[in-house]
Amino acid sequence: MLTDFLQLTVAGLSQGSVYALLAVGLIAVYTVRHVINIAQGEFAMLAGLGSAWLAAAGMPLLLAILVAILSVTLVAIAMERLIIARVKKLTPLTSIILTLGVSTLLQAIMLLAWGPEAKGVPLFPGTNILIGGVSIRSQEFWMIGALVVVGGGIVLFYEKSRWGKALRACAEQPVAARIVGISPVTASVLAFAIAGFVGGVAGVVASPIYLSLWSGGVLLGLKGFVAAVLGGFVSFRAAIVGALLLGVIEAYVAGYVSSGLRDGAAFLILILVLVVRPQGLVLKPTAVRV
Amino acid sequence: MTHATTPTLAGTRSLRTRFWANNKSTLIGCGVLVALMIVVPFTASSSVMNIVVFAMIFALPAIGLNLLMGLAGQVSLGQAAFFAIGAYTHAILLTKLDLPGPVAATVGVLAAMLVALLVGLPLMRLRGHYLALATLGLGFIVMIGVREWDVTGRTTGIYGISRPTVLGIPIDNSGFFLWFVTPFVVIGLILALNLTHSRAGRALSAVNDSELAAESLGVNTYALRLKVFVLSAGFAGLGGVFYAYQVAIVSPATAEFHLSVSILLMVVIGGLGSVWGAVAGAFLVQFLGEGMRDVIPAIFPGATGEVQLLGYGIVLILVILLLPGGLHQAATTLWQKLPFAGKRPPGDAHAHVPEDDTTIPQLPAVSTPVAAGEPILVLEGLSKRYGGVVAVNDVNLTVPAGSILGLIGPNGAGKTTCFNMISGALTPSEGTVTFLDQVISGRKPHVAAAHGLTRTFQNLQVFTSTDVVGNVYMGRYRKGSAGVLRGMLGLQSGEQSTHRAASYEILQSMKLSDAADDSASDLSFGKQRIMEVCRALAAEPALLLLDEPMAGLSGAEREVMAELLRRLRTAGLTIVLVEHDVAQVMSLADHVAVLDDGVLIAYGDPESVRNDPAVVVAYLGTDLDEAEAELNELEEHA
Repeated sequence: MLTDFLQLTVAGLSQGSVYALLAVGLIAVYTVRHVINIAQGEFAMLAGLGSAWLAAAGMPLLLAILVAILSVTLVAIAMERLIIARVKKLTPLTSIILTLGVSTLLQAIMLLAWGPEAKGVPLFPGTNILIGGVSIRSQEFWMIGALVVVGGGIVLFYEKSRWGKALRACAEQPVAARIVGISPVTASVLAFAIAGFVGGVAGVVASPIYLSLWSGGVLLGLKGFVAAVLGGFVSFRAAIVGALLLGVIEAYVAGYVSSGLRDGAAFLILILVLVVRPQGLVLKPTAVRV
Repeated sequence: MTHATTPTLAGTRSLRTRFWANNKSTLIGCGVLVALMIVVPFTASSSVMNIVVFAMIFALPAIGLNLLMGLAGQVSLGQAAFFAIGAYTHAILLTKLDLPGPVAATVGVLAAMLVALLVGLPLMRLRGHYLALATLGLGFIVMIGVREWDVTGRTTGIYGISRPTVLGIPIDNSGFFLWFVTPFVVIGLILALNLTHSRAGRALSAVNDSELAAESLGVNTYALRLKVFVLSAGFAGLGGVFYAYQVAIVSPATAEFHLSVSILLMVVIGGLGSVWGAVAGAFLVQFLGEGMRDVIPAIFPGATGEVQLLGYGIVLILVILLLPGGLHQAATTLWQKLPFAGKRPPGDAHAHVPEDDTTIPQLPAVSTPVAAGEPILVLEGLSKRYGGVVAVNDVNLTVPAGSILGLIGPNGAGKTTCFNMISGALTPSEGTVTFLDQVISGRKPHVAAAHGLTRTFQNLQVFTSTDVVGNVYMGRYRKGSAGVLRGMLGLQSGEQSTHRAASYEILQSMKLSDAADDSASDLSFGKQRIMEVCRALAAEPALLLLDEPMAGLSGAEREVMAELLRRLRTAGLTIVLVEHDVAQVMSLADHVAVLDDGVLIAYGDPESVRNDPAVVVAYLGTDLDEAEAELNELEEHA
């Protein structure tokens, strides 16, 4: 009984780590551009399918992963330069349509390049561990570890480094940020690069267990969105906690109720949160100025 | 009754000509569409026939989504969910309960609308991206639901749906089916077009320009958006009903995200807010999808599945980048370049009131339900705090009817915050606002407007997508009554022409009728301010709140404005104005209230306030004698 529970919790935490990385990417872009990037999940699928293909072609696993993550980061930057930056007045409406267009385009490219079947990156090196009847797969360590290192690194970057602080300043005070020498263009490119990078990392670490599929990005991105909403779209920490919570709840639903209903849980939570507490889990008073 | 002349003028034209003039383009368009649909089955190949039938089926959800995006300014990424709900309900009722077709179809449409209502009730309060992502989630929930539920046939879905029979004729081929679906599309099209031009449609387009201004003119944004959302789901549900008939199998694929994307693409290609565009978009996307499914496997050997998405993604991006108005924009631009397309003669639908500068301008009607001198607006213990900052602190004030109250104070004294709490744009931290014996504080601005309180804004809130008269016309919103249903049925032209005539008269009274047909955003700053006052007056309020009405006006314009305010007061209107021009306030107002640091420090007639030592110190921040000397000097300069 308890073993099952712990087993599900571990699975949920590892899956939640992937959602958390996607949420970090979504928030990074949202705080700077006020764009909710519907293509965020596609970054993960692109990296997963790309590295699986490179590895299958004989490239060493580590190199294949690095090349894939780097390429996806470049794709995200290209998306910002070629598409997002070209719109003068970005309303919520146009930004949704544009990023949806990019998402659809990336899906079609993945379908044409790698076909309709799901593919997985080979398992990362490591040994599975058995503690008190609970088996933890080494890949699950990799997933949680990716969140700790990459997610934690991004949070530290935002809170401690000069560039990170500048990005936050851009989000809060664009004019003031420009005065102290941060161009909004750089900030925007940097935000998309971060989104591409974390999306790519999430995609490759999840791929060995959960596989990558050309059309799987929308669902995955939405899970990240649910986590970001839990963080009020401003707080990385709250979003990461929300993502881990979401992963665990999903695992319980799949384990105790029905695996088919697993994906439904996320959206019921989403609608519940939007109804009850649209500002997310963070405590921050919002002021209206008329 | 000053505006009795114009409705009679319009009334002299026969009803039939007026109907033709108002609906010419709709009638011609529908005629062409019907003619095409009659001819197509005789000429088209079976593959083209197939595309046309699906285009007509998908035109319905596209029209619905277009209303939601164009009018309510909201995106749904789950239009396929409502489509699927309609299709499944219809199919289940037909196959499992053997209900007659019309009943099953009606229940199918209602089921889609009911789900939209339940989702929309909480979600339409949120702005921006939330509805889009919540509906995207809803799409997945519906897909998971139908896949897991026995009633919906899990992954196999519902099959064995028999074709309908109309007047004893079985609709058993594509030609008949096209003729079966066309009347419904045409009716849906006309209803949607009517809605766009109706009172509700104009209100929604005003909301997209400035939600704040529209609400303070009495528009209940939330309720209207919710209605449009439910309506758009109804259109999607109807599309699903026909889909179930045509395909005879309803599977979880009907709730697919990619279907929602293709419906969204139809709307984007056609142009947001253009109902005809949505229909054209439906055809284009169907042909594009079919073409891509043929072309792509030829270029990329072995490509299978949803390869048309490549085209969809590229087109979505390109349209937004290069032609944000879609086909509608392209068609309008093209039409204006044609040599015979002269500009529409100004004022064709209304009779101009002759311009005559020697006459005294007409006054807008003023309705004050309480006797002059009785309290009309009462503020009790009104406070607003932001965290530790107190913007307004315990203000108590009674405004007597039929007078002008000037509210003055240094920058940051809390004047506009006070205004926002009175009009409902802000909720007070403490205290109440009572207007005509009703507590209105803490409710939305449209509640205050419904009771007869309108306002203007310090930072102008102009409806930029319409002309000057259209702005003033929006002020008439609370005087009208036609709702979404009456608007869709087109039963409000009488009401519309009366209000349009009244709008021209109000512009005339402020010497703005020359600019009536100009785009509102082309006006000078001062003229826009005057237009805002006209708009507020058009609502025939009992209490008018003016936030810096003189700012940006020329000397002559100030005189016209001051004169108008005096005459309005004589006619019985109560006015509260915030103004920086202290001299103007002193000469206009019956009473003056002075705010400093959120506290009401003085109240009384202009003379006593001017001499109040606390006021002098508040304004100049120095000791009394020095201040008085400076004040005198300043007044001499002014």
